[in-house]
Amino acid sequence: MFTEAYMLRALMASVLLGPVCGLLGVFVTARRLAFFSDTVAHSALAGVAIGLWLGASDPTPAMLAVSIGVASLLLWLRQRTELLTDTILALLLSTSVALGVVIFSQLKGYRGEMERYLFGDILSVSPMDLLTASIISVGVTVLILVWFNALTLITTHEDLAHVTGIPVRWINLGFTLALTLVVTLAIRLVGIILVTSLLVVPAATARNIACNLRQQTVIAWLLGLGSALGGVVASYSFNLPCGPTIVLVCAALFVASLALQKVVRPSGHTPAR
Amino acid sequence: MTPHPPALQIQQVHVALGGTAVLRGVTLSVRRGELVALIGPNGSGKTTLLRAILGLQSIDSGEIQILGAPISPSTLARVGYVPQKLELDRGFGLSVREFLALRLPETRHWLWQSHRKIDAALAPSVEELGVMPLLNRPVSRLSGGQLQRVLIAWSLLRKPELLLLDEPTAGVDTPGERSFYELIESVHRRHQMTIILVSHDLSMVFRHAQWVFALNGVVCCQGTPEDIIRNDSLKEAYGLHLTPYHHHHSGEVSHVH
Repeated sequence: MFTEAYMLRALMASVLLGPVCGLLGVFVTARRLAFFSDTVAHSALAGVAIGLWLGASDPTPAMLAVSIGVASLLLWLRQRTELLTDTILALLLSTSVALGVVIFSQLKGYRGEMERYLFGDILSVSPMDLLTASIISVGVTVLILVWFNALTLITTHEDLAHVTGIPVRWINLGFTLALTLVVTLAIRLVGIILVTSLLVVPAATARNIACNLRQQTVIAWLLGLGSALGGVVASYSFNLPCGPTIVLVCAALFVASLALQKVVRPSGHTPAR
Repeated sequence: MTPHPPALQIQQVHVALGGTAVLRGVTLSVRRGELVALIGPNGSGKTTLLRAILGLQSIDSGEIQILGAPISPSTLARVGYVPQKLELDRGFGLSVREFLALRLPETRHWLWQSHRKIDAALAPSVEELGVMPLLNRPVSRLSGGQLQRVLIAWSLLRKPELLLLDEPTAGVDTPGERSFYELIESVHRRHQMTIILVSHDLSMVFRHAQWVFALNGVVCCQGTPEDIIRNDSLKEAYGLHLTPYHHHHSGEVSHVH
């Protein structure tokens, strides 16, 4: 199967996006950003619809633009209103999905396209998609590693990080942008509906078996890689839809980690939540 | 020889939050090397003042000087801050070793360094606080007392000249409180640093502080614990009945209800 060009591209996309999702997931879970990721992913549906409506052959740039726009709108609304973040996220998620579906309903012959983005279609990854994924995955991985100490301290206590001289606002902004870019690209892999699981489940699995943050980070990175790669191979081998298969591999590893945690963790360490 | 400027000098600081004046002209001066308590009832502006000192809250007017200089990253580098609690969820794996390693330049690459190398760098500064046995424990699962020790150790790693503690015994039981304040006194004695405790826990504060500032939008009274406990402004601010207590420094016997 590795001789077929589309399969090679699919495998490369999973190798590029799986690990960076695992790495980001360590901070997404700790900073309770899962719902934010979900909102950004769903807003991409409006981006796809707008891109196709404008006649673009590849809606990825429109997807990225709308996702970044929604993330910025969230930050702006959080600063300017007294609404709770959850409320703003729900508002943005439902509005962007509704907008996407309404625009899709006016486009002729694109119904299949909507499904491709909802559930992912890694087998249709183009060489251009691969190039974008390479740049963003490598860039975001380097950024996270360079900012690792700052992000850890901000996660621990924002004021403490500020007093230590960390530019908290800029790093939060950079992290939000990095997360938005990766989520939008990972939609190719697993689809809008399932993309949050690729961020959250490997990191949650790592929490079950790691004893410290170093282990948690390395395990989440490896699980992101393993789930994405394993999912692509399994979906090809058993002729299953790719995105859901990747998510099921993630979930199977999570269940296995629950059984493993008693063996791996030293006594006295209670399971992570 | 020029005398050292005060550790903290606050002049006529005003802060309004959401249209309400929280600090209405706070003026105070903390001498170097003192163990000072900043007390006040809920809503008296203690937290706002602390945030202003740390540069986390902008002030409407007035002036704050730390160690003789205005607030800046270089001044804050000479200040240690111990927050009340951390914002971690219980599943975040950060161990005490990793948390402390974030503080030292020589262990900033802790992600790639061996535990032995990190421990060797940490030990000289944190051994006295008894945190070495906690190094493998996740920070998110420490008890209130253990967390306060770790946070003090974090601050001491950079050898601060001024240490600010925000409600340090809020989540600590009574025996833990006592040993915590004993620890603070021993740190104060050994390192000769200025320590400011922000607290509403009057009885413990009166036992251990050398000087007390009572805040109620303004500094309503200040003095030694013996003096301040008899001050009518304090009784008014708290609505308390205050009776004699035992103070570590003077030996006088008092009690706070």
